[in-house]
Amino acid sequence: MARSVTKLSLLGMLRRSLVHRRARSFSALIAMTVSAGVATALLTLYADLDTKLHKEFRSFGANVVMTAPADKPLAAGVLEKVQRALPADAVAAEFAYAVATTDKGTPVVAAGTDFAAVRRLNSWWQVDAWPAEGDADAAIVGQRAAGFVGDAKALKLAFAGRSIALRSVGRLSTGGDEDSRIYMPLAALTQWTGVAPSVIEVQVPGGAATVEAAIARLKQEFPELQIQPVRQLVEGESKIVDRTHALMYGAVVLIALTVAVSVLATLSASVLERRRDFALMKALGGSQGQLMGMFLLEAVALALAGVAAGFVIGSAAAWAISEGNFHTATLPHLSVLPVVLALNLVIAAMAALFPVRVLRGLQPAALLKGE
Amino acid sequence: MALEIPVDSTTTTTNAAGPNPGEVIVTDNLWKTYVMGDQQVNALRGVNLRIRHSEYVAIMGPSGSGKSTLMNLIGCLDSPSQGRYWLNGHDVSQLNDDELARIRNKEIGFVFQTFNLLARATSLHNVELPLIYNGTPTAERTARAKEVLESVGLGSRMDHKPNELSGGQRQRVAIARALVNRPSIILADEPTGNLDSKTSVEIMALFQELHAKGNTIVLVTHEPDIAEYANRIVTIRDGVVAGDQLSTRNRNQQP
Ligand SMILES: Nc1ncnc2c1ncn2[C@@H]1O[C@H](COP(=O)(O)OP(=O)(O)OP(=O)(O)O)[C@@H](O)[C@H]1O
Ligand SMILES: [Mg+2]
Repeated sequence: MARSVTKLSLLGMLRRSLVHRRARSFSALIAMTVSAGVATALLTLYADLDTKLHKEFRSFGANVVMTAPADKPLAAGVLEKVQRALPADAVAAEFAYAVATTDKGTPVVAAGTDFAAVRRLNSWWQVDAWPAEGDADAAIVGQRAAGFVGDAKALKLAFAGRSIALRSVGRLSTGGDEDSRIYMPLAALTQWTGVAPSVIEVQVPGGAATVEAAIARLKQEFPELQIQPVRQLVEGESKIVDRTHALMYGAVVLIALTVAVSVLATLSASVLERRRDFALMKALGGSQGQLMGMFLLEAVALALAGVAAGFVIGSAAAWAISEGNFHTATLPHLSVLPVVLALNLVIAAMAALFPVRVLRGLQPAALLKGE
Repeated sequence: MALEIPVDSTTTTTNAAGPNPGEVIVTDNLWKTYVMGDQQVNALRGVNLRIRHSEYVAIMGPSGSGKSTLMNLIGCLDSPSQGRYWLNGHDVSQLNDDELARIRNKEIGFVFQTFNLLARATSLHNVELPLIYNGTPTAERTARAKEVLESVGLGSRMDHKPNELSGGQRQRVAIARALVNRPSIILADEPTGNLDSKTSVEIMALFQELHAKGNTIVLVTHEPDIAEYANRIVTIRDGVVAGDQLSTRNRNQQP
C-alpha cells in the first residue's frame, strides 16, 4: 500500500519535472526521437531490402548458364525438366546457335530461341520491337549484325546450302555478343539448319546461397550438362547486398552513439543544474533509491516517448524512401519495434550512467550551505 | 528550568553515559574533521551538548567556529568523524545514508538561511515534499500541507512559486515544510540571515509561537538580539562549546 502510494507520487513528480523543464526535456526527446526514427527507417528497409535488391537484380538477366557438350545437344523436353527442378519464380530459356551466311556473304551467328521466355529472362535487353507471339518467320537483328546484311528488312540467310527468308521486326542492342547475332524462333532455326538447342540460360531469383543451391540441384539432375553461375552477377549481387547491410548497421550504430552522447549531455546537464534540488530532496529524506528511481523514470519516459514518435516517423520515412528508390511501398514492420525500443533504452541507460553517479555522490550538507 | 547559570558543558565534561529521559539531543565528544588534500580541518573538536525536549536553544559563535558543522551533525546531514550522537534516545552516529535520510525525514525540520525551496514548485508542493518521501497518501499530504501553510499565515499563497513570494514569505514556506512531518526538532541555520530586520522580527515571532506550542528549536545566529529570542544560548569557539547559559530575557524571568 505505502509502496504504491510512493510510486504514484514519483509519477507525479516525474510529470512535474518533465513539464517544468520543458526545454531540456524537449531536446532530449528530440534526440531520442531521431534515434528511434532512424533505427525504425533503416530496420524497416532492411527487413525488405533483400527481396527488393534481388528483385532489382532479376533485371540483369540470367545468372546460371547450362551448356550441352558439343557432340550431344539437348534432347527434347530437357527445358521442361529444368523448369520443374527450379523454384517457380525462376525463368529459363533455351538457345540453339548456327553460323550462317548473309546475302552479303558475311558469316553471322543465327540464334534460335523462345522470344517470350527471352523477353522475361533478359528484361535488360534493348529491343525496339519484339515479334508477335507465334510469328514463325520474325527475327530481331543485333545492332552490329544489321551491318552484315544487305536488306535489313527482308533477311536472307544461308546454312549448308539451304536458305531461309525472315522478316526483321526489331533491332537488338545489349552492348555484348548479342549485338552481332540474329535471333529467330527456335523452330525456324531447327527446321532450317537441323541444329538442336545447346544452351539453357536460367535466372534464379535470390542471393548467392539460393543460386548455389539451385546449381547443385541442377548438377545432380543433369550430370551430362556443364552448369555454371554467371560469376560476376551472383558475386556482385551478394557483395552489394552485404555492403548495403554493413552500411545500414554502421549507420544505426553511428547514430545511436551520436544520440547517446547528446542525451548524455542533456541528462548530465539536467542533474548538474538541479544538484541543489536533489541535495535538498536528500536532506528532506529522499533515499538514494527514490531519487535515482525518479531520475531514471525521467530518462525512461523520454526514451519511450522517443520510440513512439520515432517509430511513426521512421516508418513513414521508410515508406517514402522505398517508394522513391524501388517503386514499391514498404509497410511499417511491427517486428522492428522491440529492437528500436531496446536500442533507445540502452541509449538512455548509457546516458544515465554519469548523471546517476553524480546523483549518488551528492552531499546535501555541502550543497545546502548557501552562497 | 533545570539549568543553572552559567551551565558548563564544555570539553571538560563527558556525556558518555548517554541520554537521560526527556533529552532530545545528546552529543558526546563529537569531532568533525574535514580532509582537503593533505590538509585536515578540525571543524569540531569534542562537542558535548544536551538539549531537552521543548527547549529553545540559540547557537552563537564567530564565523568559522563550527556552528554549521554542528548543525549538520545534529541534523543527520553528515556523520561525525568521532564521538557519539543520540537523537531521541537512539544512537545515530553509525547509521548509513538511507537510514539517516529516513531519520531526517521523520525527526528533523530544517530551516536554511537561503530558504532552499524548489524554484519551479508551488508553496504547496514545496511543503508536501517531505511527505512524498514517507509515502503519505496524496489526499492526506495535501490536507496537511495546506493546514501548515495556513498556520504560518500563507493560506492565500499556496499556488505561488518562490519567485512570486517575498523573502519573509519564502522563509515561512520553508518553516511550514520543516513542520509538516511533525518533527522532534526544528533546526534553523541563520534563518534571518537573508531577511531585513522587520521581517526577521516576524519570523522570530513565528519561531516563538512554535516554541510555545511545544516544539524543540535549535537556531544558529550571528546576531545577539536574535539569540535573545531563545531561552538558552550555547557559544561555540574553535570547534568546542565555550559557553552555555540562559538568555538575558530568560534570566530576567527567573525569580
Ligand atoms: N565541507 C567542508 N570542507 C572543508 N572544510 C570545511 C567544510 N565545511 C566547513 N569547513 C571548515 O570547518 C570550519 C567550520 O565551518 P562552519 O561552516 O561550521 O563554520 P560556521 O561557524 O558555520 O561559520 P559561519 O558563521 O561563517 O557560517 C571552517 O574552518 C570551515 O572552513
Ligand atoms: Mg555557518
